[in-house]
Amino acid sequence: MRRAFLTVLAFFSLTVACAQAVDLPSWHGFVEQAYGGRVSRDSLTKHQNYNMLEQRWQLKTRYRIPGENALSRWNGVLTYKGDFLLDEYFGASGSYEVRECHVAFSPAGAVDIKAGRQVLTWGTGDYLFINDLFPKDYVSFYIGRDDEYLKKPSDALRVSAYPKIANIDFVVIPHFTPNTMPEGDRLSFFDSFQGGIAGRESDRNAVKPALQAENMQYALRVYRTFGSMEGALYYYRGFDPSPRSYLDEANRQLFYERLDAYGASVRSPFAGGISHAEVGYYRSRQDPNGTNRLVENSMFKGMVGYEKDLGHDLKVGGQYLYEQKLDYAEYQAALLPYDYFWDERRHLLTQRITKLYKNQTVMLGLFNFWSPSDRDGYARASCAYDMSDQWKLVVGVNIPWGEDMITDFGMMAKNKNAFVRVRYSF
Amino acid sequence: MTFNMGGDMKKFFVLLVMFFGVSAAWAQDLTVDEIVAKANNRSYYQGKDGNAKATMVVTDAQGRTRQRQLTILKLNIQEGGDQKYFVYFHKPNDVKGMSYIVWKHAGGKDDDRWLYLPAMDLVRRIAASDKRSSFAGTTFLYEDISGRSMDLDTHELSASDAAHYIIKNVPKDAASVEFSYYMMKIDKNNFVPMMAEYYDKSGKLYRTIEALEVKDIQGYPTVTKMKAADLNANSHTITEFSEVAYDVGLTDDIFTERFLRNPPQQWLKE
Repeated sequence: MRRAFLTVLAFFSLTVACAQAVDLPSWHGFVEQAYGGRVSRDSLTKHQNYNMLEQRWQLKTRYRIPGENALSRWNGVLTYKGDFLLDEYFGASGSYEVRECHVAFSPAGAVDIKAGRQVLTWGTGDYLFINDLFPKDYVSFYIGRDDEYLKKPSDALRVSAYPKIANIDFVVIPHFTPNTMPEGDRLSFFDSFQGGIAGRESDRNAVKPALQAENMQYALRVYRTFGSMEGALYYYRGFDPSPRSYLDEANRQLFYERLDAYGASVRSPFAGGISHAEVGYYRSRQDPNGTNRLVENSMFKGMVGYEKDLGHDLKVGGQYLYEQKLDYAEYQAALLPYDYFWDERRHLLTQRITKLYKNQTVMLGLFNFWSPSDRDGYARASCAYDMSDQWKLVVGVNIPWGEDMITDFGMMAKNKNAFVRVRYSF
Repeated sequence: MTFNMGGDMKKFFVLLVMFFGVSAAWAQDLTVDEIVAKANNRSYYQGKDGNAKATMVVTDAQGRTRQRQLTILKLNIQEGGDQKYFVYFHKPNDVKGMSYIVWKHAGGKDDDRWLYLPAMDLVRRIAASDKRSSFAGTTFLYEDISGRSMDLDTHELSASDAAHYIIKNVPKDAASVEFSYYMMKIDKNNFVPMMAEYYDKSGKLYRTIEALEVKDIQGYPTVTKMKAADLNANSHTITEFSEVAYDVGLTDDIFTERFLRNPPQQWLKE
């Protein structure tokens, strides 16, 4: 209902705006052709030689509401962005995704509201997320789509207030959107029901929380600057966005367990670069003591990172992430003899190098994840060339690797790809 | 008949100031540091605040062009010192909607810079200690746009004719920059820098910045068209400033994450 309401509201506003329009809003976007070939054959997935072949057409517009109505007095702005995708991987099936459709306005001097479908991001990590529990698309990430597609939109109401002491963002998300995770048809992955790396034969399913009042998600961020340093506190009440808990083992059903997260971050200039630190405590509400083997335990996560500009358009960065499953003894005690089980601690290091050439029209980038505890990693390298203001060419590789089939990157090891994308922007 | 206090009075005062400026210069009363300070204030600190639309056209050695179009908002925190900038990209289309905030710090401390990528709703802090890197892929450097702190160079009046001062500027820390020195030609009447020529470590001229058009805007002599040329790469960028306005009433809060994420509609020159 809420979703329908928001859609109607947005549509109504758009109609009103159009009717009053003196000049029509301008439309921009791009058309893109993308191909991602597998580095080695994967007989488990739908296509053995490639995992991306698609054409995408994005259209977006931004429109300041004119006239004498309340929304225009409040500096109301409508934003719309939609993608038409022709996905050759699934037999040239066409789909349309509305990525953004929201109205933003300021009803009072120190209050901003954004209502409708929107992408939400906060936190300090570089490809690492602790307090950003908004939905992500890891399939797009692994096959080499643009970074934009790592983030999925949420249907949400965002209220921001700016009292003197600190800034506040409060987000209400009525309808749960899960992360998009590998499901076997495009990317093979570890499926505990299949007892190993699974492709098309995987038939597990994840049950989403129903649309009802007690399943609303709330996210809060309180932040401010102290000179050049930024500090933030976070709170989230909702669900783990990835399906990590078992609902019904016999029917191969997973679910998204209830999750509360409390966190904090700082980001500040340090020794000629930018440093950041973030911590989070995940409280698993359906298994607070860790005694239920079917439900994910509570966790602690912390990271530190640093990025520096070495001059000549060369930037380097590094991060360290620590994760600890809490109540591990209880978890171990509850396990059954043939259960797969996960380690108590995970250490993850990342490294980024970005170098620009030819007056910043050519970008070479290398990003590495490496976990000494999981003995796995993931290398992402790309070269982007802005051929003109309209044409852009990106080539790159995605190389996940690992010794163990149950770790995050290790399970993806058969999904190495090399991709190319050509985009025309207008 | 009513007397127009606003514009006419202001112009009168500007003329008065310019007159004294000219006569002072004529009398050779100004030290070289004072001349450079006046030129620096002319270039970067006029008015309490200001906004403009900038259209930058980059032409490479093969004659191919690229275009950048942005709105720039500027607030002086203290004359000759700290400033805040807000930059909103209109073009090229693939970065349309991106915005950028700089808290510029005078006196050695690195500037604070944030970039907002609307497609991901991502506020990124930019590690940017290298101010001599290209601004948005143009021939202009970051430092040409936000200003180079006077204290970083020693200044010497190397020549002067009826219309211009010629100042030689030598970096105090030679290793921190790619030039060995640069010559600046400053208009004696209004202290507008008309030309800057950069010489590399071997003494060869490799880079120029030139004021192509100067207009009087609200009594402030303003460069409205300028060209940066890279003589080695045989490329150049011409920037034209339009809709320039000073003292428009920008406030400190515009230069925060709030407006980075929700660009201030009333100031965007769509």
